[in-house]
Amino acid sequence: MKSVRSVLLRTESLLAMLLIVVIVLMASLSGGKFLGPRSLQSMGFQLPEFGILALAQMIIIITGGINLSITYSATLSAVIGSVVIAGLNAAHQSPALAILAGIVVMFVVGAACGAFNGSIVAYVGVSPILVTLGSMTLFEGISLQITRGGAVTGFPVAFLWIGNGTILNIPVPLFLFVIVAAVTYFVLERTSYGMRLYMIGANPTATVYSGVNVKRILFLLYIYSALLCALAGVIMTSRYNSAKESYGSSYLLQSVAASVLGGTDIVGGAGKVLGTVLAVLILQGVSSGLDIVGLNRFITNVIMGGILIAVLSVNYLNTSAGSKTRLRRRQTSEVLR
Amino acid sequence: MKNALRVTFLGVAVMLLVSLTAWAGGQKEKAAASTSSSSKQYTIALIPKLVGVPYFNRAQEGAQQAAKDLGVNLVYTAPTTVDSAAQVSSIEDQIAKGVNAIAVAPNDPAAVTPVMMKAKQAGIITMDWDTPADPSVVDYSIHQIDDQEYGQHVWDLLVKYMGDSGDYAIITGGLSAANLNSWIKYGEEYAKTKYPKLHLVTDPVPTDEKQQVAYQKALDLIKAYPNLKGIIGISTPAPVGAAQAVQEKGLQGKIAVVGTSLPSMSAPYFSDGSLDAVTLWDPAKLGYLTVYIAKMALEGKKPTTGLDVPTVGKIRVAADGKTIFMGPPQDFTKDNYKQFPF
Repeated sequence: MKSVRSVLLRTESLLAMLLIVVIVLMASLSGGKFLGPRSLQSMGFQLPEFGILALAQMIIIITGGINLSITYSATLSAVIGSVVIAGLNAAHQSPALAILAGIVVMFVVGAACGAFNGSIVAYVGVSPILVTLGSMTLFEGISLQITRGGAVTGFPVAFLWIGNGTILNIPVPLFLFVIVAAVTYFVLERTSYGMRLYMIGANPTATVYSGVNVKRILFLLYIYSALLCALAGVIMTSRYNSAKESYGSSYLLQSVAASVLGGTDIVGGAGKVLGTVLAVLILQGVSSGLDIVGLNRFITNVIMGGILIAVLSVNYLNTSAGSKTRLRRRQTSEVLR
Repeated sequence: MKNALRVTFLGVAVMLLVSLTAWAGGQKEKAAASTSSSSKQYTIALIPKLVGVPYFNRAQEGAQQAAKDLGVNLVYTAPTTVDSAAQVSSIEDQIAKGVNAIAVAPNDPAAVTPVMMKAKQAGIITMDWDTPADPSVVDYSIHQIDDQEYGQHVWDLLVKYMGDSGDYAIITGGLSAANLNSWIKYGEEYAKTKYPKLHLVTDPVPTDEKQQVAYQKALDLIKAYPNLKGIIGISTPAPVGAAQAVQEKGLQGKIAVVGTSLPSMSAPYFSDGSLDAVTLWDPAKLGYLTVYIAKMALEGKKPTTGLDVPTVGKIRVAADGKTIFMGPPQDFTKDNYKQFPF
C-alpha cells in the first residue's frame, strides 16, 4: 500500500512540475499576456466544461471501462432541456421557471442516459466500450431527430449568466467545476463506495467474491458520470446560448487523454481526481498559451500529442511495480476465462 | 513524512515561480503596451470554420497577402475539427491575446453570439465572413456573393452551354439548406422571364451533399427524361456527380452540366467536356476583402458601394451599411481551372 501511494505521489508531482513548466514557458513566450487577468479569466471560462467531462470519463476508466457517450449524453440532455426552456420562454412564462424547469429536465435526461448505459453494462454484462459506442450513436440520433440538424435557441437572457457570468471576476462555471471536483474527490477517495470502485477496476472477480454488489455500484457510477455530463451540457448550452448535438464533440478523445495524462490507469484500478484536474489545467494551458503566442494550430496538436506520450512513458517507467500488478491481473483474468 | 516534505517544497516552489512570472509578465505587458501605441500596428484575427482544408487554406493566402499589403498583423487560426465549442475557445483566446479585430466564419451562428458580444465589450471590432453570424453582434458582415446575382449567373451559364430552349433538371445538396434554396429560387424566377423556352422537368432533386448520390440521381434523370439537355448542380458535390453520370453514359455533347463547385473537385471532368463550367468565388479574395474591411473599420473609415478594393474589385454595401458583398462570382472551366488550386 505504501509503495502504491508513493508512486501516485510521484505521478502527481510530475504533473505539477509540468504545469509549472507550461505556465512559465507560456508566460515568457507571450510576453506576460498569458498570465494577464483577461487571459486567466478566458481560460476559466473554457476549462470547466472540459474538466467536468474529463472527470466523468475518469471515474469510468477507474473501473476498467470507458464512456464513449459522454459528449452526446451532455448534448442530448442539453437539447431536450433547451426545448423546454425555449418553449416556456416563448409561452411567456417567468424566466426563473423556464430556466429551473429546463435544468431539472437536463439532469433527468442525463440520469436516464446514465441508467441506460449502466443497466446494460452492469446487469446485462456487455463490455462498456461497446455499450457506450452504441449509445453514443443512439443519443446523437435522438438529438438530431429533435433539432433536425439546427440549433435550439431562444432562452431568457438570465440563463446566459450560468455560462458567461462572473462572481468577483471569477467565472461562474469555474465554481461549478471546483464543486464537482471536490464532490468527486470525496466520493472516490473518502468513502467505501469509492474504494470499491478501485477494487472493481483492479480485480472485478475478486471484488465479487468479497461480497461486494458490483452490479449496483457500476449502475450508480454510470448515472453519476452522466449527471456530470448533464452539468457540462448546462454550462455549454448557456455559454453558446444554444444547444446542438455536435457541441463539444472534440472533448471526447481529449477527456480520455486528460484522464490518462492525470495518471489514471487505462485498464482500471488507479486514478486520482487531483491528477485529472492537473492534467486538464496542463492541456488548457498549452492550448490557450500557444493560441496567444500565435503558434500554428497543427503544431499545437503535435505538442499536445508529444506531451501525452512523454508523460505516459515516464509514468510507465516509474511504475515498474505497477506493471507487475497489471501482469498479475491479466493472468488472473486469463485463468478465469 | 518524506513525501509530505516534498509536496510542501513543491507547493512553495510553484507559488514562488507563479508570482515571479506574473510580475515579470506585468512588466513586459506594460512595455508592450507602450510600444504598440506608438507604432499603431493593428492585429486582425480571422477565425475560419476549421483549418487544414483547401477552401480555407486558399482564403488564408488572400488574407496573408492583404496583411502584407496593408501592414497589419494577421492571426489565422481555428481548430482542426468542426466543433463550435473548440471554435469558441479559439475566439476566447484571441480576445485574451488582445487583438484589435476578430472576424469569424461561424460553424453554428448561434453558438458564437455570447463570445462575440464579449469581444465587442472588450472594444474589439467584430465581423463575420463566409457565413453570417447574428447581425446584432458584428460591426461588419462580409458576404462572398449576392444570392440573387449568383442564382441568375448559374442560369446564364446553363444557357451559355445548352442554348436557351429545352429540358433541364436541378440537382441540389439538400432541401433544407437556406443558401442553396435561395439561389434556386432566384434562378428559377429569372429563367421564367429571361429564358421562357427553358423547361424544368421536375422539382429540384436532393442529394444529401454527396457526390455518389448526385451521380445516382443524375443517372435516374437521364433515364427518365430522354430529351434532357442540361443539368444544374447546386452545392459543391452535385455538379461533379452529374458530370460523372454524363461521362459514364458518353453524353458529353448532348447534356450540358453546370453548377456551383470547387475547381479541384471538378478537374477530372473538365478535360472531356462532361462538366462544362462551375462557378464559385475565389476564397483568397474573400480573405483579402475581410482583412481590408477590418483595417478600414479600425481606422474609422466606412466602406461604400463601388469602393474598389485592390485584387478584389468593386464591392457593394447593403442599405444597412454593414453587410458587404464581394463582386461577381468566378467561373471555372477547362481553360482556367489550373490557376485555382483549391
